[in-house]
Amino acid sequence: MIKCSLTKGSSFILAFFLLVLLTLVGCSSDSGGTTDSGASSGGDSTNGESASGGEWAGQTVKVQLIGDFSMEDSTDPITGVKTPGLKNLKDEFEKQYPGATVEFIIMPWEGYTEKTQAMLTSGEADVYQMPGIADFAAQGLLEPLQPYIDADSEFSLDSFIDNQVDGWKALGPDSSELDIFGLPFLGDARFITYDKKIFDDWGVEYLSEFPTMEEISEKAAKMTGTNPVTGEQNYGVWFRGDWSSAFTLVNAAEGLGGKWGTGFAWDEIEFQFNSQEMVKGLNWLLDMQKLAPEGIVSNQGNEKWLTKDNNIAIMLNQGPGDLVQQTYAQGLEDRIAIAQEFKDENGQGGLFAGSPITIAKDSENKELAWEWLKFATSDFAQQYVYETGAFPAVKSATEWESVKEYESLLGPVFKAMSTPYTPRYPWGSAQPRFILTSEIEAALTGKRNAQEALDKAQKESTEWLENR
Amino acid sequence: MAKNSLELETTSGPNSQLKSEVETIRQKKRKSQLTWYIFLIPSFLGILLFMVYPIFESLRLSFYQSNGTIENYIGLANFKTVLTSGPFWNSVWNTFFIGIFQIIITIPLGFIFASLINSTPKGQNFFKVIYFLPNVTSIVAASMIFAFVLHPEMGIVNYALDSIGLPTLKWLASPDTSKWAVILLAVWHWIGFVIIICLANLQAISPEMYEAARIDGASGIQQWLFITVPNMAGTFAFLLITGWIGALQRFNEVYVLGGPNGSPARSIQTMGAFIYERGFTGFEFGIASAATYIMFMIILVFTFLNLKISKMKL
Repeated sequence: MIKCSLTKGSSFILAFFLLVLLTLVGCSSDSGGTTDSGASSGGDSTNGESASGGEWAGQTVKVQLIGDFSMEDSTDPITGVKTPGLKNLKDEFEKQYPGATVEFIIMPWEGYTEKTQAMLTSGEADVYQMPGIADFAAQGLLEPLQPYIDADSEFSLDSFIDNQVDGWKALGPDSSELDIFGLPFLGDARFITYDKKIFDDWGVEYLSEFPTMEEISEKAAKMTGTNPVTGEQNYGVWFRGDWSSAFTLVNAAEGLGGKWGTGFAWDEIEFQFNSQEMVKGLNWLLDMQKLAPEGIVSNQGNEKWLTKDNNIAIMLNQGPGDLVQQTYAQGLEDRIAIAQEFKDENGQGGLFAGSPITIAKDSENKELAWEWLKFATSDFAQQYVYETGAFPAVKSATEWESVKEYESLLGPVFKAMSTPYTPRYPWGSAQPRFILTSEIEAALTGKRNAQEALDKAQKESTEWLENR
Repeated sequence: MAKNSLELETTSGPNSQLKSEVETIRQKKRKSQLTWYIFLIPSFLGILLFMVYPIFESLRLSFYQSNGTIENYIGLANFKTVLTSGPFWNSVWNTFFIGIFQIIITIPLGFIFASLINSTPKGQNFFKVIYFLPNVTSIVAASMIFAFVLHPEMGIVNYALDSIGLPTLKWLASPDTSKWAVILLAVWHWIGFVIIICLANLQAISPEMYEAARIDGASGIQQWLFITVPNMAGTFAFLLITGWIGALQRFNEVYVLGGPNGSPARSIQTMGAFIYERGFTGFEFGIASAATYIMFMIILVFTFLNLKISKMKL
């Protein structure tokens, strides 16, 4: 009987402790959990010293970043290049701002929008990397930055590559004028890439700096077939027929003097998806499809691109991504070249992309958050960004030795970054994009002709706009 | 132990003392039972937080226009939008098309393979492992590999078709063949499970029945038709119901192969992908929630029909 009671008592105590343990784990301070990288290194001796005194003593700024960032240094498995960790940024920031602490919350690109939304709603961070700035600014979740810019004599927007600040402007919840809610942090661009060796093999002149659609068609047609030198099947052109095809089409229309539509706020937007220029652009893509491998609608057929066995002459609507690193890692620096996308009469054209950084409206540490924004867009942090394989957004980058070394590739990328279509496409991550993409796919797979496909896209997008 | 002590007290004390003793033992029993409830609390809380709450929150959201932060009550408008949406019904069609063919191919084929494996005198375990391997493979990884296998120019399937003189297909690059690409992947992935379940049932059928049938002069096919197949009815019903529920919830493989909008031209966009597209790429949580409840109703009705057809008792 005693033995039995003890057993019951023990199990009761065990259950109780398990419950307490579970509660403690679940409710423990987030300084040890969610901000893994930031907080894990936040307990080192450097932080202990910095937190104890200085102008910013006791203040912490929480920074959310998206992508392949890590706290520690790492080595790229393909290129073998060493990538510095975020601790370099942390150490420098905490050195420049004595007493301040920076904590990082890193998330993957997968599902970043909904995760950002959740974080903003629950006030998880002070500073956010935010490609979907227009959606969040309209919800009143972001701090307008113009007052900070005006009050800070040390800071100038001139340091950014042209068009980058304008591209990230957005509408606040109650304003009708575009305002600054974010500063450019990661640069991005779209351009046309080509393989000079295939041009040489076919005896075709390289693309001009600003090629026209006719130039692309003509040259791509010449380079489709059996390569006269290697005997391999070559394709004149490749483009993604699925995910990003809407942007490729809109850029083609821009090259013809057209545009996707007008307006920025949803209640002002008017689509022009079935304009003459858009129809002509889609017909051009249908012509280009004949010079491309079969799998463009399923993102296939470009497997040999950026390898020595490449079989594609011209790649439309490309981004910098790993272009530079992989080009050099594969020893293709003498083969790969870049031309600009199609531009309109104002010299603008192509998708505006990248990432700005913003301050959350409900941040309790806005002054330090602003200092972080300035730091993150300084040469030190932007060089760090460049070393991690991303693209800086500041003009001074073109003067860095590490950039000059790859001038032939990076020069056109920086140029492309200064001439995208601005303001950015407000429908770029909303339903109209998927409607347009699906109809482009329908045209590319022969389900509908260009006019029918774009009429349907226009109708569905307009209906969506009316019902939202 | 408790019973013994109660018997002891009953024989030795007066009635009042006996009553209080009985209560004490009852209390002890209650305490003992309470312990196990405490053990259940963590998982119960988990279910409450991560299942029950989202289910009701999703129902609430379906009556709102919501982007996660700003919400406006709009009544049944989201349900109307979904039910009148062409892409939604297209996704329903895709889901059923892929599901029907996956089931009508996999269950009979799996049963035949299971019968063959069951008949082999040696190496049964080897075949079981080989056929079950696809089922333990991550569907995401398998989908990525299938994209290469079904590559229109470099894929091994088209290479095989071409080498035996058959016309090659565009597979995922054409809306006409993309659904068949998904069906092929789904059959490959699920057939191992079907084989194992069928085998378990086959091995449970009494050998005496076959022996009696042989004595009566039944041929092998007759034994299979009149003994094996009827005895498999419960298993077929189970596979039909679980297969349908899985098919109607299909998301992972079509997301990997065709993205949230089921490229090409929404040809492989399932109901799950439609919900993801509207909810997590377009921030239309109200519409996504309404579509989720409509999908739930569709699954409910279909499962009910399946239960009726298969005469399976819950």
